[in-house]
Amino acid sequence: MSVKLSDALLKSVEKPSRYTGNEWNSVIKDPKSVDIRFAFCFPDSYEVGMSHLGMKILYHLLNERNDCYCERVFAPWTDMEEKMRQNNIPLYGLESKDPIKDFDFVGFTLQYEMSFTNIINMLDLAGIPLTSDKRSDGDSFVCAGGPCAYNPEPLADIIDFFMMGEGEEIINEVMDAYAKWKGTGRTRQEFLEDIVKIEGIYVPAFYDVSYNEDGTIKSFVPKKPDYPVKIKKRIIKDMDKVYFPEKVIVPYTDIVHDRIMLEVFRGCTRGCRFCQAGFIYRPVREKSHKRLLELANKLEESSGYEEISLTSLSTSDYTELHELTTGLLEEMEEKKVNLSLPSLRIDSFSLDLMEKAQKVRKSGLTFAPEAGTQRLRDVINKGVTEEDLLNAVSLAFNGGWNGVKLYFMLGLPTETMEDVEGIADLAYKVVNAYKNVPREKKGKGLNVTVSTSSFVPKAFTPFQWEPQDSREVLNEKQMFLKSKIRSKQVTYNYHENRLSLLEAVFARGDRKTCKVLLKAWEMGCKFDSWGEHFKFDVWMKAFEDCGVDPYFYATRKRDYEELLPWDHIDIGVSKKYLISESKKALEGKVTPNCRVNCGGCGATIFDSGICGGN
Amino acid sequence: MTIIRVKFRRGDEVKFISHLDLMKVFERAIRRARLPIAYSQGFNPHPGMVFGLPLGVGVTSEAEYGDFEITDDGMSPQEFADRLNLQLPKGIEVLSAKKKMSKQNIMATIAASEYVVIVGTPAECSQKALKTAIDKYLSQEEIVVKKKTKNGVKDTDIRGMIFDLNFELQPCENFNIIRFTALVSAGSKANLKPDLLIESLCGYLGFEYEIDRIHRTKLFVRSQDQLLDPMEEVV
Ligand code: SF4
Repeated sequence: MSVKLSDALLKSVEKPSRYTGNEWNSVIKDPKSVDIRFAFCFPDSYEVGMSHLGMKILYHLLNERNDCYCERVFAPWTDMEEKMRQNNIPLYGLESKDPIKDFDFVGFTLQYEMSFTNIINMLDLAGIPLTSDKRSDGDSFVCAGGPCAYNPEPLADIIDFFMMGEGEEIINEVMDAYAKWKGTGRTRQEFLEDIVKIEGIYVPAFYDVSYNEDGTIKSFVPKKPDYPVKIKKRIIKDMDKVYFPEKVIVPYTDIVHDRIMLEVFRGCTRGCRFCQAGFIYRPVREKSHKRLLELANKLEESSGYEEISLTSLSTSDYTELHELTTGLLEEMEEKKVNLSLPSLRIDSFSLDLMEKAQKVRKSGLTFAPEAGTQRLRDVINKGVTEEDLLNAVSLAFNGGWNGVKLYFMLGLPTETMEDVEGIADLAYKVVNAYKNVPREKKGKGLNVTVSTSSFVPKAFTPFQWEPQDSREVLNEKQMFLKSKIRSKQVTYNYHENRLSLLEAVFARGDRKTCKVLLKAWEMGCKFDSWGEHFKFDVWMKAFEDCGVDPYFYATRKRDYEELLPWDHIDIGVSKKYLISESKKALEGKVTPNCRVNCGGCGATIFDSGICGGN
Repeated sequence: MTIIRVKFRRGDEVKFISHLDLMKVFERAIRRARLPIAYSQGFNPHPGMVFGLPLGVGVTSEAEYGDFEITDDGMSPQEFADRLNLQLPKGIEVLSAKKKMSKQNIMATIAASEYVVIVGTPAECSQKALKTAIDKYLSQEEIVVKKKTKNGVKDTDIRGMIFDLNFELQPCENFNIIRFTALVSAGSKANLKPDLLIESLCGYLGFEYEIDRIHRTKLFVRSQDQLLDPMEEVV
């Protein structure tokens, strides 16, 4: 029985079309005609969730199966949640409006740590037991995947099983196993035992963890010998052959990325040492420009979207960028479709491209030098020099651009106040580069924005052992930088570093941090990544009540010998390689990118992508 | 250049989308249908389309209108409508289409709108008593309501904006359902929202009430002091 949403209720909430479904290209099936019902849950608002490419892919992939009906579920905004609780309306699937409690699977995509309390809140709203030990045979299976699943431990008590790696591969195998299991009368435990044999499946309840006196992990052992000791991530080998939907849902209400997103490749060759995505998505695998053009045409036809954007971790590195963008510009011109370009590396080709794509608009260019001095940029392996940057901005200024955004991180390993000051210096050099451009060529009124975020050490990066700066130190650095930037042409923005502290805890947390999540949620935390809902003091109280020290996870330097909470996950990149990168970082030595020279990270085991032949 | 005027309906499935979002729906449907819509010049080209009166959120309608400028003078309104219908989401449907003759902008000429408002009330009422009371309500010189405007709340006299007001009473057990039909002033000069009218009327009658649904049944344009159906308009 589907839920009843009265007009009065919907009229009383902000943006009711978030909750009513029926968008173009959404998939409607007869629930009676399928064996498997899957609730694809995005633990954030409709606008954020609908902008996420992974969700679009998996939604259509699952719905391609005749035996499966996949529906979308987003976290209702707080006004809607309140109405739902008042009226006993459980969390429902957007397509059928059926309560997700009755679905076979409730799957979450984990994109950022600060969405974890929303997962708990959504399970609660659905009426599904919050922890896996409380679920029994009639309950849905709660599963998860996505980048944050690479350190699954903070959610170990909540999620029944994780899918490691790229979902397109693994999810169909799980559905096949489920179709076989369903109706046999075998237990919930037996289903999990079936799928734990599939490569990439992690069932946290199948493992015992013990701790040393100092709070670090002593051992992590499978409860039965046939459970895998290491869980290997799954990847797509051939990006041209992998499933990609030829239509996407076109929402009614404005979402964050309301356009066609064309994924040009996965992974990144650059090896920046702070970047988790750069390691967990190794090796780089590209789609051919031919396949991309074909997809672009099909997606444009089926959606009617007026804009296409290219996505990847570093689109400038796409080897067929020239062919792709020329092709797109040519084909989309007559269809009046805009090409929205990500921040490309600036050279004459890309400037020319931007000129063509954006026609007149000559504001916003973004650069991410990440650190203020060459020394620190070498530490993080950011292969950008000051000269590169200044050449690029001069080129752009000569072409009439006049707005530059510069992104940096504060609190990177080995950072000193000199490095912080270097950020201000760099900004001034950009201002000078503008002054040197002949008046008739440059746009009116320079606008340089410097933004800093705080470094968060992440699992599976060479910096996974590094401490995060304390909030006091980060504040000090922010204030210092602020005092150094005294120009009307430069604006300085910085991020809230209380949030970064929590990110650091859950990015590297172990199973003990799960209690804190549950506690914080109980005390009212949700939508933590939304400033207006973030309750830092409540979080601190939750840590205290649970007897968990956040600084143990955030600001403690770890030894290479320490057993890390995610050591049972295998991303292909070896720990040995991460250690050598970590050491090279501290010595300020750079590692060339994969295309220049293979560093031997271990990702060759996938026999795919850039290192497939090596 | 040809302008095609269409009449369309907006059903329950899409009644919660805003007017702005509705325009996007049409824009994208037109692109999918590959209809020869004219685009404005400039940095951010806009498709040539103009809609009638925006409908409130939650209101359904069988009398919505839009004018579409196309570059193919040979295309028949029927073909335009058929191709568009294939690409419109559930709940939006073009009911008829014709070549537009007048130069006037539809938005500027809208003058009146007819709504059906279904109201539930626990108040006791008989056909006769209700008729008398409504007649009395309408016989007032002035009916002042608090109207929300961009600059806050303003006292407004709406008497002149009510052209016609009828009702049908459907008694239930301990509840009455009243189906009002109201012809009211609409458009940019004077616009009376049906919920405001009902609020004022029920306040006058001393009724507790709940609006169950609002549905637009007609929309009129003014042409030489006449109210005309936008599809009939010939001027
Ligand atoms: S094996 Fe070599 S080429 Fe492949 S991802 Fe690792 S470093 Fe790059």
